[in-house]
Amino acid sequence: MNTPIRSLLIIIALFAVAPAATAAPDPTQLVKGALHRWRGDSSYTEVAMTIHRPDWQRDMTMVSWTRGKSDSLVRFTQPPGDAGNATLKLGQALWLFNPKLNQVIRLPFSMMAQNWMGSDFTYNDFVKSDQIVNDYTQRLDASESRDGHKVYTVTCLPKPDAAVVWGKQVLKIRDDHVLLEETFFDQDMKPVRRLRTTKIAPLGGRPYPVVMRVAKIATPERWTEMRYVRAVFDLKLPGYLFTQSNLRNPRPWRAP
Amino acid sequence: MIELAWRNLWRQPKRTLLTVAAIAFAALVMVFLLAFQVGTYAIMEENTLSLFDGDAQVQQPGYLDDPGIRKSFATEPLAASVARVPGVDAVAARAQTYALLSKDQRSLAALIVGVEPKREARVSRVATMVRDGRYLETGDAAEMVLGDALARNLGIKVGDRVTMLGMGRDGSVAADVLTVAGVFSTGVNELDRNLAEMPLARFGADFAMPGQAHAIVISGTTLANIDDALPALRNIATKHNLTVRDWGELEPGLKNAIRLDASTSLLWYVALIVVVVAILLNTLLMSVLERTREFGVLLALGMRPAAAGRMVWIEIMLLLAIGLAAGIAVGAAAAGWFEVHGLPLPGGDGVFAQWGLPGRIYPHLNWFSLFAGPAAIAVLTAAAGLFPYLRLRRLDPVTAMRSA
Repeated sequence: MNTPIRSLLIIIALFAVAPAATAAPDPTQLVKGALHRWRGDSSYTEVAMTIHRPDWQRDMTMVSWTRGKSDSLVRFTQPPGDAGNATLKLGQALWLFNPKLNQVIRLPFSMMAQNWMGSDFTYNDFVKSDQIVNDYTQRLDASESRDGHKVYTVTCLPKPDAAVVWGKQVLKIRDDHVLLEETFFDQDMKPVRRLRTTKIAPLGGRPYPVVMRVAKIATPERWTEMRYVRAVFDLKLPGYLFTQSNLRNPRPWRAP
Repeated sequence: MIELAWRNLWRQPKRTLLTVAAIAFAALVMVFLLAFQVGTYAIMEENTLSLFDGDAQVQQPGYLDDPGIRKSFATEPLAASVARVPGVDAVAARAQTYALLSKDQRSLAALIVGVEPKREARVSRVATMVRDGRYLETGDAAEMVLGDALARNLGIKVGDRVTMLGMGRDGSVAADVLTVAGVFSTGVNELDRNLAEMPLARFGADFAMPGQAHAIVISGTTLANIDDALPALRNIATKHNLTVRDWGELEPGLKNAIRLDASTSLLWYVALIVVVVAILLNTLLMSVLERTREFGVLLALGMRPAAAGRMVWIEIMLLLAIGLAAGIAVGAAAAGWFEVHGLPLPGGDGVFAQWGLPGRIYPHLNWFSLFAGPAAIAVLTAAAGLFPYLRLRRLDPVTAMRSA
């Protein structure tokens, strides 16, 4: 090959690479963006959940409100037996209201990381608290092009003194901050469970991961799916929503 | 010939008695220690199993490795047919799952077990270990008994109401408020910290599994009887697509502890027997050497070398018989006395509490503990006795008579 063409190719290659390199996003901002895409500054969502097991299946629906990065209220609406059960999270505190007992029960915060309402989701998966930003360091590992979007792979490693259950988490985030995939690794760095976005659609005026499915890697036939039916973001929510008294006696609130 | 051997023995009464004493002592130690071990293992098994697990359990096949609330089964008519198997003393159905117990601002996860109070008391000693209040009774509805550490951590006492929150068999929210009827203290940390029992019927209603259970706990007239009844029990369980877990599967830690202890002590026994037999062999060889002239005369008188060899071997066997008989008698007497009165082990209380053991050990004599040790000594000595026998067969009468 003659030299001028070769240098030309090198120059083209350099130009092709250089913009991408300079445009490499900050991984922490990517994760923060994904969380913000999920919850907004505040949110109201209506969600259907299906718990699937080889021998049975269960469908539930719920409504939830979030405020800021760490407050949330989730209230079950179906099936009739479970309707009215609700959880309230304020900062690091977690309560559950059970209508049968007509009682508010304070839950240990560790319940955040445990299976929630018999599903494969943890409470944390659902309300997406900012723990993954605060307790983990983020590193950008790879980027690829998919369907006209850039998809970034971000590895989150726990900070040395953070009290977290996972050894690491690997997130795939689209350039518009839609979370595509989240894989949870145990302390031996073996992948344990994976959350996948199976459908992206406009919701609340933005592209949104409207259908997500989670399963343990070892038991893919046992999964839970969450479908976002309706969502309103960045709306003004009255303060009384996030109180124990509203947890116990829901005050009427109509979604805009 | 036996008469001749017998007379030969008492030509050197001191040596004979010493040899007999060595054999007797070895046999005694073996008998006593084996009885002690068998007794300890029996108590470990008995106490551990009778505390909570029972001698065997009928379960869903996958339940032991991966317990889940969905792995339940209808208890009747299964429990009734299990109860009819010979060797079975009592059966009790149990349902269990983890749930949150909560009192005021405190919440803790606990193993909630639904029990049939009357029957449960016959398969598990938890009922006898209630420290405050009382155990569950037939007719209890929303009562609960729980371990003392769990009660302390929750800050509850008898008469308090505790909230239970979990997930039912169908995935629904299971919630109930129960009254604490009693607090038990088993001494086994795992149970005292985690276990809470409530009536099975209420459990079934709360967790959406009426008439179902996760285990049928079996208690035998003795553990050995249950081990014998396992094929019959398996037969019944298989018909219902269930499985039987024996005590070793329920308490693998106990089984391994026993196995480890047995194999280390086996090393000691082997060492003991080898030393005793070596000492014995030495004595025998010495006496044969000493009696070379005597044997030369016997051979010259026309005794065949094989017969002379046999005579010496019979002498050894006589020594052995007297020694072992004495050893077994004294060892059995000692073990028997302690079997009745118990052997206090100072300072052992804490160590043994984890296996539910009392501070006293009761040795147990059976065919194995009585004869295994002496039999091993006998076989090895009989084999060792071949050395003098072979030596005599090679003896030449003339050289023998001339030797000093």
